[in-house]
Amino acid sequence: MEETWQIVHIPDNPPFPPDQQPTVDAIASLIDPLFANTLVRRLNQIAPLENLRHVKRVHKKFVQGGKTQLSVILCLASQNGNQLDSIQNDVQELMNSYQLSPFITKVCKYAASSKEEWEEQCKLWPTSYHPPTYNIEGITGFSQEDSQSVFSFMKYAIQLAKSGDNLEVNAAVIVDPSVKQVIAKACDQTCSCYNPKNEITLETSCIEKLETSVCHGISGGALSRKEHSNGFPAKSEQLYTGVSCLCPWGWAEQESDMSLRYCHPLRHASIVAIESSAARDRLLFPSSGKTQDKSFEMDHMQSCSAASPAKRQKTNPTNIQVNGEDNLDLNGEGCTRSLSARPYLCTGFDMYLVWEPCIMCAMALVHQRIRRIFYAYPNPKAGALGSVHRLQGQRSLNHHYAVFRVFVGTDI
Amino acid sequence: MRLWTASKFLLSKISYNCMNSICHAFKILYTLELCTHLCVIVEDGKVIASGRNRTNETQNATRHAEMEVIDTFLEQWREHRLSKSEVAEKFSKCKLYVTCEPCIMCAVALSFIGIKEVFYGCANDKFGGCGSVLSLHSTPKGEGFKCTGGIMATEAVSLFRSFYEQGNPNASKPHRPLAQQATQ
Repeated sequence: MEETWQIVHIPDNPPFPPDQQPTVDAIASLIDPLFANTLVRRLNQIAPLENLRHVKRVHKKFVQGGKTQLSVILCLASQNGNQLDSIQNDVQELMNSYQLSPFITKVCKYAASSKEEWEEQCKLWPTSYHPPTYNIEGITGFSQEDSQSVFSFMKYAIQLAKSGDNLEVNAAVIVDPSVKQVIAKACDQTCSCYNPKNEITLETSCIEKLETSVCHGISGGALSRKEHSNGFPAKSEQLYTGVSCLCPWGWAEQESDMSLRYCHPLRHASIVAIESSAARDRLLFPSSGKTQDKSFEMDHMQSCSAASPAKRQKTNPTNIQVNGEDNLDLNGEGCTRSLSARPYLCTGFDMYLVWEPCIMCAMALVHQRIRRIFYAYPNPKAGALGSVHRLQGQRSLNHHYAVFRVFVGTDI
Repeated sequence: MRLWTASKFLLSKISYNCMNSICHAFKILYTLELCTHLCVIVEDGKVIASGRNRTNETQNATRHAEMEVIDTFLEQWREHRLSKSEVAEKFSKCKLYVTCEPCIMCAVALSFIGIKEVFYGCANDKFGGCGSVLSLHSTPKGEGFKCTGGIMATEAVSLFRSFYEQGNPNASKPHRPLAQQATQ
């Protein structure tokens, strides 16, 4: 029943009606315009508006007689108790020396995400509004064809995460949407025995095309079909302790077979997939730079001194040769790929995750420059893309991706 | 000069009775020119592992010094066939020293593994996960670690400044010209 599948954009800020945006209290005061510069400079040093960079420090009001009246935010008000008593000492000193009389004002907590919101915000206290400089496809909706492609890749990810009827691990699939190609895929590896076969499939995954993934999706057997109202597949929450992003602190307590000695609490699916896509980059675009030569020496040195299995795999020269050529030929591009065609990290790529990632994985995806993230199930305990944190709304970061939740249909 | 500052930073943090370990850490430092973002893990006053940022050479932007050092660590313990609870026990006794405030990803990673304490040099205004952008080093439920920043911050900042002046050869649109081009 395809019609129950749905893609919903998860915005940078929690959605609020423009006139009901959350606010915080700040302590402000009227000031003499003569001292405006000095005061603002000093206040920015001693009481910077850390998480309120969108809020303007100064409020300019036109009063009768063509005069202007300036007021300035001194600092944020404390959440409880008498707000005017809790002013920090250096601000208090400044107030005394300029004879300021403080009052409480409300300012909007989050930066405006639309012109409408911004106009409402400025009624309380002026803020700045920066329309998104990025324009990521999908935020304004998906075409029929694009939706189908998103659903296929999500099905593929869910198939990867399935063991029997259950979704006991998270799965991550990195996709190049321009050619509908799987770049890398991985499942959680926080507690597993080392399996060389697994590593090899990771290395060759870049040749898989959408067709295969669709087949996978359809040929999959029966799976838990129903969803509870909380968005989880038809199982109680406690049963998902094997999903690394859901219980990231619980790795030490989980029961496991004593023979499965290899334990790495940070090898969440996203981290492993990023590692795999980076390994693919190094195979496809062997570099010539000075830094790179050095790095390969370094890799070699490390593999000699017993590096992790994954590292050893990557630095095995024969393996690189075979896999590298295979990939290039199957891609039909021969060995002519130039360095200039090399993508910068995962720029332009999409990430499909069965479960909403924890904040470690979400930040890793910022670092690796993923363009869009699609996830199927929310992560109420540790989710970083809407459930607990909302990393996509952190404006100070140097890269921003768009986040979507894919509501899966009853055919999964 | 940069190396010297890095060494001074590390030395000031490490007790002098473990020169072997320090020598090991410096051997790694001296083989590399881009050794700005580096860290060491200390157990009972001894350096037991060190790591440095390897994002450019691996083309994996998540290979920060902290992630590297955790991997080195886990690898050592795997060889010693430690069980999961022994690994957790070990982490809970370790302290990490790093030149720059751990980013959001690393702060959470360090919290997940259950490290005891973290000391850092300069704050990280853009990505810091220990107070600068988000405060993830401790949760209301009590998970996390004790964190102290601003140790020799001036030295750490000059270390980073000289690194960034060289430019990033791998960036798609470099913000600044590469050092080599500039001198041509």
